[in-house]
Amino acid sequence: MRMDAKKIDYKDIGFLCGLEIHQRLLTEHKLFCKCPAVINLSSPEVKITRRQRAVAGELGNIDMSASFEEKKSRDFVYAINGNNACLVDIDEEPPGEINRDALLTALSMADALSMKIPYEVQPMRKGVVDGSNPSAFQRTMVVGLDGSIKLHGRTLRIPSISLEEESAGIIKTEQGVAEYDCQRIGIPLIEIDTDQYIKDPEEAKEAALYIGKMMRITGRVQRGIGSIRQDVNVSISDGARVEIKGLQEVAYLDRYVENEVLRQIALTEIKKELKRRRAKVEKAKSLTRILKETKSRLISSNLQSGGAVYGFKLEGFGGLLGKEVNPDRRLGTEISDYAKMAGVKGLIHSDEKLSDYGITSAEEKAIREELGAKKNDAFIIITGEGAQVENAIFYTAGRAKGAIEGVPSETRGVHDTKLFTTKFLRPIPGGARMYPETDVLPVTIEKRVREEAHTISPDIERTLSEFKRELGSEELANQMLASYRLDLYKKLSSETKAEKKFIANILLQKFVELSRNGYKTDSIEEAELVKAFKEYASGKITKKGVEELIKGLAEGGKTSEIIYKSHLKKKTMAEIKQIIEGIKRREPSIPKERIISRVMAEYGTVVDGEDVKDMVE
Amino acid sequence: MQESFDKGGIGIGDAISVSVQGKEFEGVLMPNTEANADDAIIIKMGNGYNIAFKFSEVKISKKGTKNRKPEFPQVKIESRTELPNISLLYTGGTIGSKIDYTTGGVYMLTKPEELLYEVPEISEITNIKVRNLFSIPSEDMSSSEWSEMAKRVSDELNSGSKGAVISMGTDTMHYAAAALSFMLDGLNSPVVMTGAQRSSDRGSSDAFMNLFCASAAAAQSDIAEVSLCMHATSSDDYCNIIRGTKARKMHSSRRDAFRPINDRPIGKVDRKGKITYISGYKKASGTSEKIKMITGFENRTAIVVAHPNSDPSIIDFFAEKGYKGIIIEGTGLGHTPVSTKIKEMSWLENIRAAAERGIIVGITTQCIYGRTNSSVYRNLRLLNQAGAIHCEDMTPETAYVKLGWLLGNYGRDKAAAMLTKNLRGEIKERTEYDTFLV
Repeated sequence: MRMDAKKIDYKDIGFLCGLEIHQRLLTEHKLFCKCPAVINLSSPEVKITRRQRAVAGELGNIDMSASFEEKKSRDFVYAINGNNACLVDIDEEPPGEINRDALLTALSMADALSMKIPYEVQPMRKGVVDGSNPSAFQRTMVVGLDGSIKLHGRTLRIPSISLEEESAGIIKTEQGVAEYDCQRIGIPLIEIDTDQYIKDPEEAKEAALYIGKMMRITGRVQRGIGSIRQDVNVSISDGARVEIKGLQEVAYLDRYVENEVLRQIALTEIKKELKRRRAKVEKAKSLTRILKETKSRLISSNLQSGGAVYGFKLEGFGGLLGKEVNPDRRLGTEISDYAKMAGVKGLIHSDEKLSDYGITSAEEKAIREELGAKKNDAFIIITGEGAQVENAIFYTAGRAKGAIEGVPSETRGVHDTKLFTTKFLRPIPGGARMYPETDVLPVTIEKRVREEAHTISPDIERTLSEFKRELGSEELANQMLASYRLDLYKKLSSETKAEKKFIANILLQKFVELSRNGYKTDSIEEAELVKAFKEYASGKITKKGVEELIKGLAEGGKTSEIIYKSHLKKKTMAEIKQIIEGIKRREPSIPKERIISRVMAEYGTVVDGEDVKDMVE
Repeated sequence: MQESFDKGGIGIGDAISVSVQGKEFEGVLMPNTEANADDAIIIKMGNGYNIAFKFSEVKISKKGTKNRKPEFPQVKIESRTELPNISLLYTGGTIGSKIDYTTGGVYMLTKPEELLYEVPEISEITNIKVRNLFSIPSEDMSSSEWSEMAKRVSDELNSGSKGAVISMGTDTMHYAAAALSFMLDGLNSPVVMTGAQRSSDRGSSDAFMNLFCASAAAAQSDIAEVSLCMHATSSDDYCNIIRGTKARKMHSSRRDAFRPINDRPIGKVDRKGKITYISGYKKASGTSEKIKMITGFENRTAIVVAHPNSDPSIIDFFAEKGYKGIIIEGTGLGHTPVSTKIKEMSWLENIRAAAERGIIVGITTQCIYGRTNSSVYRNLRLLNQAGAIHCEDMTPETAYVKLGWLLGNYGRDKAAAMLTKNLRGEIKERTEYDTFLV
């Protein structure tokens, strides 16, 4: 039975939650080199292949998460285009000085959050193990400490804000290879962390929205999909810290948090049952002899190509692998994630219908016998290439043992954007992964710089009241501040004479509606939009005409062409008069209201309702 | 600041609390490096970040004493009788650079065995003995270190190692490789030099593959020469084995910086350790002939660069200081200014005077690629008549090392005669088409 997340008493379950918000900055150059900080989708000119190793960290030990990635023994391919990547980005040249513009923006955010600014800013190296940085670390520096925001009168602490490098964007992962695009890498990024005392999923979303607004108000942040990302840390008293990485749609952040809570509750219940049954995980045995003649295509194809098939008993797990822990995700799915990390396609477990895999009931009986699995026990079968199977057994057995302990501490990523579920990415990294970046000198933050940061510091309350005045509505003002089209709004409302409320409505409602219907509104050139609103402001097109025009722009057209080709030019009073007289001629007894609706139905995009009304009167 | 630390009994590594305007921050006290402001107090916070505070703006109190010391995992090197034994001689450089977590600075490994911990696959192809020679960056090395390296490597080879790997800083690796080539006379096994362009404390370091490939070359090849084994491309795909007298560092930072000059690589080693031979080399003979060491070196040997507007009195300067040999990096085919409008700018008479004093003056090309010539132009002929010796297709660095070594062991006249004779593959008789920009 599925629990209702809305009915949970979050205080009661010991809910802890903190956010890490990452926002790309809008600067001319990257953070440590003079490459332009733009992602222009230029195609790669060169690809290089690298391998990374887990190295002994600060305290001599190798980070668990680092050696986990290394065990996956993957090649990392980096695609480079000379336009926006240089040797610094691919770990072939030491970094240059810190980008002062980026530093100033980060300091202005620290100022807005009433933070203490360090005397010197010291760049650090934070270990990165998934290949998303060719150097195997990310450069990062704290620029502010101990700040806070207020949400509905509650204070949420912001322990630190840091300025760091963006990572490379993943292009694809295939067996043994992860390919990254180096355009993004090194673009300045601000990370803002809250403390862990967010009270419920709703507040997590609100905090993310609030911080997002602040950053957009600076006018110095990049916009568009992926330019802001949220990582959320969630735990409950009987659970463990789980980090969900890379949430892009803040609107659904609460749903992911709710599901994580439900998942931890479900895993805790499974744990209790496993403890009661004194469950344990047995060593794996080869099933090659038993399945030599199997009709299961998955298994036989692996065996024919020299692979292996192994199984192990999960004593006391019977029926629990099929237990749902999240929508469309069961304990078996959770364990299967670990197997996939080793490169095998997945696993087969005894709570599934084995006949779906072509395993006969006689074979199942033989497997149970071989593994010594009784009715109350479960088993897992893994097949694939030999070394991969060995690794997969290591990981899955580890995860199964973890189920007896409850919730494992994990880094998870988005699995299903409709069900708001996540999947395992890697173990949560330990703390000892940070050391000074000795290639870059620390920067002393002079008083002059702090003062400059203060003058450009974003003030959310002030901006909100300005917007309220401009737009005549608190709701619209709030929506506009939360939108990544805020900069576009500012541009259109300062460069054209169109009513601000109209611009806001188009950007907030029409754009969303059109993009839902498949129009590429984000690819519209800003200059064309400016032209469109100028045409509107000078009375050449109507409000409806603007909406039509935007559809054309989203398909790559030009404003002047679309107005001409789609006949969007607004009718003059004289033309409206002619139209009305034409109708009256045909239907002399037609009432006034009917005339208006008739004209609007036929000429809606090129006449103004008010004009028609005036003329009829 | 130090005074107040002393008074409070606070030392580096202690847990302290820093109070700034009533707010407490806890962390471990870090020392200032030369990069920090003098009055900066730096603490490492729980989240790993180092934060600097201004001493005059904070109050400090001690919370606990010294934290854990870095401890590296113990390396167990198991010996397998069926595998060849090689020696790894460690001399310092980026390959052994580690971050010092207390100072934030880079330091050199003192236990070179730690290098092997990160390249466990070496133990699958060879038994490796690690010898710690010294721990100095390559720019600080001189001929005495080259001689020491030669002695130690010949000790290892004479006492049964099948081959040797020498790890060192990369900046002057090609000088050292040339020096060892000349010093190890009668070499009958592979001596492979390697290093790293990225320090081994980062997961992306080129050190791991370089060390592995160099070990494979030392353990499995029959190249009886001193060579250099480093990344061939920017990818971690394979390393080149380059003749020690023909190698040169051609990029300040890329991992594939080392290239063969006027030569092809001897071979390449992929990351599984498979060696593919590309061009000819001196093969190990199979006899157990001992190496004869010739380790003298005349330090009064110099390299000077001839360039437009250059002052030739630099030659007189070295002559007066008692130098015995000078290598001039000439322009093009091996020119210096000779028939200049302003007479004082011509190098001709200075070179003639030096040669007459008995100084050997060799000329190489600053083009790096290609061969010098002493007869194509009148100006070249004049230099030659004045006593300058054009050094064929040797790199300036190899010519320099060779001249210093010849002068240190054979005396002036023999040295002059041997400078343009091929001894260790440093001079090729033919300039082959496919030896440019490879």
